[in-house]
Amino acid sequence: MIDTRQKPQDARGRLLLLRRIVQHVFLAIFLVLFIKTDYSGSDRLDAAVNILFRLDPFLAAAVVLGVKTFVALVLPSLVVILLTLVLGRVFCGWFCPMGTLLDLSQKLLPARDKKNRTYFPGLPLFLLVFALVAATCGFAVAGYLDPFSILVRGLAQALYPMLNSVTVGFFTFTYQQLPDFVNAFTEPVYGVLQDFVLPSGQKFFQLASFSLFMLLGVLLLEAVQRRFFCRNLCPLGAMLGLVGRKGMFAGHGGNEDCGACRVCSKNCRMGAIDEDRKIDMASCTFCSECVAKCPRQIISFGFSLAGGNELSQGSGVSLSRRKFVAAGLAGFLLPTVKGVEVLAKNPDPLLIRPPGALAESDFLRRCVRCAECIQVCLGNALQPALFQAGLDGMFSPMLVARTGYCEFNCTLCGQVCPTGAIRQLTMPEKHLLKIGHAWFDKDICLPFAKGISCMVCEEHCPTPDKAIRFKDVTIQRDNGQSITIRQPYVVDELCIGCGICEAKCPLPGRSAIYVTNAGEHRHPEKSLTTYAGYN
Amino acid sequence: MDRRQFVKDVLLWTAGVGLGVPCWKIAPVRAAPFPPLLGVVKGKDYRLLVEKAVTLVGGMAAFVKTGDTVVIKPNIGWDRSPEQAANTHPVVVRALAELALDAGAARVQVFDHTCNEKRRCYTNSGIIDELKKIGDPRIRWEHIDERKFVPVDIDRGKSLKRWEIYKDALAADCYINVPVAKHHGLSRLSLGLKNSMGVIGGNRGRLHHNLGQELADLATVVQPRLTLIDATRILLRNGPQGGRLDDVQVLDTVIASADPVAADAYGTTLFGMQPREIASTVAAYEMGLGEMDIDRMEIKTVQVG
Repeated sequence: MIDTRQKPQDARGRLLLLRRIVQHVFLAIFLVLFIKTDYSGSDRLDAAVNILFRLDPFLAAAVVLGVKTFVALVLPSLVVILLTLVLGRVFCGWFCPMGTLLDLSQKLLPARDKKNRTYFPGLPLFLLVFALVAATCGFAVAGYLDPFSILVRGLAQALYPMLNSVTVGFFTFTYQQLPDFVNAFTEPVYGVLQDFVLPSGQKFFQLASFSLFMLLGVLLLEAVQRRFFCRNLCPLGAMLGLVGRKGMFAGHGGNEDCGACRVCSKNCRMGAIDEDRKIDMASCTFCSECVAKCPRQIISFGFSLAGGNELSQGSGVSLSRRKFVAAGLAGFLLPTVKGVEVLAKNPDPLLIRPPGALAESDFLRRCVRCAECIQVCLGNALQPALFQAGLDGMFSPMLVARTGYCEFNCTLCGQVCPTGAIRQLTMPEKHLLKIGHAWFDKDICLPFAKGISCMVCEEHCPTPDKAIRFKDVTIQRDNGQSITIRQPYVVDELCIGCGICEAKCPLPGRSAIYVTNAGEHRHPEKSLTTYAGYN
Repeated sequence: MDRRQFVKDVLLWTAGVGLGVPCWKIAPVRAAPFPPLLGVVKGKDYRLLVEKAVTLVGGMAAFVKTGDTVVIKPNIGWDRSPEQAANTHPVVVRALAELALDAGAARVQVFDHTCNEKRRCYTNSGIIDELKKIGDPRIRWEHIDERKFVPVDIDRGKSLKRWEIYKDALAADCYINVPVAKHHGLSRLSLGLKNSMGVIGGNRGRLHHNLGQELADLATVVQPRLTLIDATRILLRNGPQGGRLDDVQVLDTVIASADPVAADAYGTTLFGMQPREIASTVAAYEMGLGEMDIDRMEIKTVQVG
């Protein structure tokens, strides 16, 4: 039942409530999509799971500037641009899952700063200019700074596996140590969690702690200032501010009637309201708190073709010409360091990219470090790189076969990649695509080194025509006795570098068979040397 | 309940349990009936094949009593489709599950410790879809739960002395082993004894270093009451996971026996090989776990359909 005689205060309170509901609904959708970024019993995945990254105009711009071609996959980002053109930064205040998490963190960690002046108002724009210029010069660091990338990386590479580890640990304790009447209650709970919340198995990540600290850092900065990340760092927010500051939907700030009242500017989480109670529409995210709290109901929002207030000097999204040039120069000059890193001369042979990854330079320019491929990878094979791909390759996916291998019949990473850095493969393509090559370490491989039979690698080799085969070799034991043993070898033309051999090698510690990126499909110059030789 | 009380209670509950790792003791091996009885059935209707084969070795009632917990252990090791012959045929698994239910089983569990990603194996083997068709809540297919591996002393083991084995496989009233008959690079063939590797945990590849003997050792503690070898189609080369239909031969055959060694021995002959060529068969025979001499078996061969 709607009470039509509500006081205006209630109506404004309802706007706040509506915004909170929208925020939490979108956060919930995001989390559900995150959990759904997984094998679901079908070789095809719903396209929606990577949609957040395809909506992101900052990443879209970085990718398009990087590869200098039209990238159809990032077209949905135009929706956010259009939304922002009309409504300003409503995305930041109402829809961004990172923003919602920050607002929730604020409840736990109230900001100590009461002056509410943005610490580094120019920094987001500086980072935006820097990242886009750098991207244009082939140095893709947009993904380091993007809020969604930071968020999904922190979830995929740390929090989600941590949740699983803790939960499994708890229910292992209850299962193994507590009596049946307790388990009658706990086991069904565990079952529900497994079915709907937890990942299908425990994953392990290099950079888990780093990914966690990055996300936690962003969340903890709330204790310094409300929406610290959005105001002082977020390049996506800066971009939306640039696009949306002349939006048709705008705030009308205070006026002379306000007197000494500063309720709005003190409460503004974005620091968008200055001492004169002018609202900077490049910063305002329409959270509506000022409208709800304005004691005299002076502040309001509405449509107007004239746009909002004039930009207040020195606040919000603006950058002096000098800083602008500095950002551009930094973005232009930093990439040159790539050319003198040792990796430029001597690339890391252990940098194995997912199947369908574009040639390295194109791959890095497209990869937005969103961790979607890493999250979806069935075998826990994909890991975020640290410096294996250079300074601008951090968090890009690489296969670390000792931890996990690439499933022969799986093409999910190419399906979730939001930018096409990893191509979508058909199953027949995938089966033949060489991402690396397996090599035996005969000094430790048992049939060679110790005369002990093994062949676990051959058993697991997935190519229908086995890429690992064996020769029956007669060897002489120390006591003079001759025995025949099967010794494995790799068939160059058949090995696709999936790494299951390395993952399953039963030796403790180092595997006796390991994969490098030798012969990978995307770099013809790396094709394996094949002459008659022993064959 | 306050915290102090809770801690006290936990200590009480876990007294003796929390102190040491529990180790399962397995009852001595049952004497295999002699001469071993084999049911070998050929035909196109795989469901009928299973029914008939089980009937030939005494009927399901001889293995499953009312109220029993039954474990059916197919090979679901690989992310392969049924016609690729890397996993047990889904219709064979379903038929056995239905026979067990008809015999009064209180619960029928189906699982395997897969080599490829577990969900892909379960799905693409076709076994889950087939079991769902039964629509009986007493049937449970579940993924391996790491918490259920218990260390087991293998007292009679010559090479394998102690290993982690899946509790449900050991605790079942009736454990039915349903391997698919296929080629294997190291052991030459993968049959019933090799299929038992699907109920063990740990670093399974380690068993390969002395595979024949270690499989026989494992057979002293993982003791199926019934072995049914699925040879409806067999994988001749590039086992144990295959992937090429050229390597598959359709035989439309199943073999049932209470004697795991005899079942394997007979299964070997389907590949044109002799039982003595399979190290695990020989090792198990020498340990008295069953018969490997084809001439000393009572083999009932039936063609159906």
